[in-house]
Amino acid sequence: MNSQALIRVIATREFMTRIRTRVFVITTALTVIAIGGYILLQAYVFNTSTSSLEVGFVGAAQSISAPVRAEAAGFGETINVRPYTSAAAGKADVQSGTLDALVSGSGAGTTMMVQSKVNLTLETVLNDVVRGRVLDQYLTKHRLPPSDVDGQLAFSVSVNELSPVNAARVEQIVIGLLVAGVLYVTMVIYGQLVAAGVIEEKSNRIVEILLATVRPWQLMLGKITGIGLVALVQVVLIAGVALVLASATKLVSIPTLGIDVVISGVVWFVLGYLMYALLYAAAGSMVSRQEDVASVALPVTLMLVAGWIIALTVAAPDPGSPATSVFSFIPLFSPVIMPVRIAAGLAPFWQVAISVVLVIATIYILVAIAGRIYRNSVLRIGGRVKLSDALGLSSSGKPVV
Amino acid sequence: MLELSHLTKRFGSLEALHDLSFDVRPGEIFGFVGANGAGKTTTMRVVLGVLEADSGSVIWDGSPITFAARRRIGYIPEDRGLYPKMTVIAQLEYFARLHGVVRKAAHAASIALLERLGLADRAKSQLQSLSHGNQQRVQLAAALVFSPDLLVLDEPFAGLDPVAVDAMTDVLRAEADAGKPVVLSSHQLDIVERVCDRVGIINHGQMVASGTVAELTERGPLRFWVDVPGAGAGWYDGVPGVTLVEQDGSRWLLQLADDAGEQAVLQKALTLGPVHEFRRERPALTQLFRDVMSGTAVDE
Repeated sequence: MNSQALIRVIATREFMTRIRTRVFVITTALTVIAIGGYILLQAYVFNTSTSSLEVGFVGAAQSISAPVRAEAAGFGETINVRPYTSAAAGKADVQSGTLDALVSGSGAGTTMMVQSKVNLTLETVLNDVVRGRVLDQYLTKHRLPPSDVDGQLAFSVSVNELSPVNAARVEQIVIGLLVAGVLYVTMVIYGQLVAAGVIEEKSNRIVEILLATVRPWQLMLGKITGIGLVALVQVVLIAGVALVLASATKLVSIPTLGIDVVISGVVWFVLGYLMYALLYAAAGSMVSRQEDVASVALPVTLMLVAGWIIALTVAAPDPGSPATSVFSFIPLFSPVIMPVRIAAGLAPFWQVAISVVLVIATIYILVAIAGRIYRNSVLRIGGRVKLSDALGLSSSGKPVV
Repeated sequence: MLELSHLTKRFGSLEALHDLSFDVRPGEIFGFVGANGAGKTTTMRVVLGVLEADSGSVIWDGSPITFAARRRIGYIPEDRGLYPKMTVIAQLEYFARLHGVVRKAAHAASIALLERLGLADRAKSQLQSLSHGNQQRVQLAAALVFSPDLLVLDEPFAGLDPVAVDAMTDVLRAEADAGKPVVLSSHQLDIVERVCDRVGIINHGQMVASGTVAELTERGPLRFWVDVPGAGAGWYDGVPGVTLVEQDGSRWLLQLADDAGEQAVLQKALTLGPVHEFRRERPALTQLFRDVMSGTAVDE
């Protein structure tokens, strides 16, 4: 029986027993509901900017309704024009809330009546249109063709940004951080589950029968693979629901979330999870009781936290900085920093390739080291195994098995 | 055939195994007895490859045992271990699959074993809901489910009631009769005496005695029970090399020196009246074990 088949049998057991647990089903369902609810809330309750404004025009003001609507559309505001013949009827509608604003009068005497708060865009547009009208009348009166004046004014001040803020770039960085954040949280949670799973087999003593049948590294990789697949299913479910809802409610434009970002997210998830799961498995093998999992996993978790802090404080503010580039090449930090650079469009392919190769090399080294710690520790039941013993550097000490 | 050849294993300053050798033949149940800490579990772990010996070798069918051969060993470790929350059937199927049995065959073998062990109605139960004795049976089933070539069982009878012991020994006998070597360790010497074809006594990592139960008990002093109601105290004095061990009414337990003839004792007894009993007293394995443990055969 080859290693692959063995690892598959072990991983299948891990996957099947974990995916059917009540904990998994409930936490996944709750997360999906929470995220879905949040998106729907954003779309339909808080976000009123997408709805249109009902604006009434009474008497002479009706002549500016068309240009107001046209100019407001340029600012992304939709205006439904409602003509009124009586100001009193319009006022009644404003008071009852069916009308957002009522415009009356003309020229300098133009008035806008609102319930309590004026829509700033509407106010700006209205001022602009009315002033334009007044200016045109004034120019015509002094025999200057308004179109000539318009020609003179058809320019805008050119702005020279020394360090421009690219709005699209900001959105990309946010998306990069989201990807990195999901990877970070998943690696912390599922990495600790790997450590707990290793300890479970130690405290159940089942590990002795298993090790009489399979190699330690096969057992370790099988467990990591099975738990990783559970993590992948959960992340895909949650992210899938979030993306479908967000795009259906037009909260996020999917084009900014490029396919390259999604693919790199999955690749970094697989690589990052493997790397950290190996560390967590080695850490877990060194103790025998579930109470000890937190303390022994702490150094590994701290590495992940450090990476995430660097992503937030170094990579996100300036994804193009040399510091960000340097950190993104450190294998233990790459999985949470590279996605930010990639999403910002600032990671050349060759750099991504190099960091992937470095992480894969690290995984190979960790398979050897973590496998060694695992093999030397996993049969020692009792206290915490010293790292030097776990690495097999000292041969003293009787295994307390 | 399984041969252990000159195994030595140290844990720091403690020598757990010292030049330990024995063999287990096909179709034979070999009982491995010794005090706590004598090295039984260490020996079994070395056979399974869970521990590595410092020197010496484990030979299987004439050549040093390989990992592939070790995977064919059915093993019950001293520390029992199964997944508490898995169902009995899923557990057995998993162990079968780990040994390369394909899915369908794994299911069939698991069902068949559960029926044989009287656990068919508990197949879908979580292991932790079973009684201790039934969990032990599942542990045995996990060791048998892939049709192993050899059985290594560390304390298989621990915590079992007499009925469960009988069920377990029936299964082990059947496995041995199928031509498999079976090695087991136990503290329950009465069971070992009854079940095992050969016995090895280990002390401080050394094999101090081994052989069939009959061979081992032959090693005891030559003693006879003689029931002669007509005899009086000291009736045996005339026979050379005879000393009294114990007297129980008209029954006398006499110890004979090596060169003393038991026929001379019998003839003497017959002259004193009818002899109702004349029987060789063989020490129980328990007695022999105590003698060995306290005896001079052991060097530190």
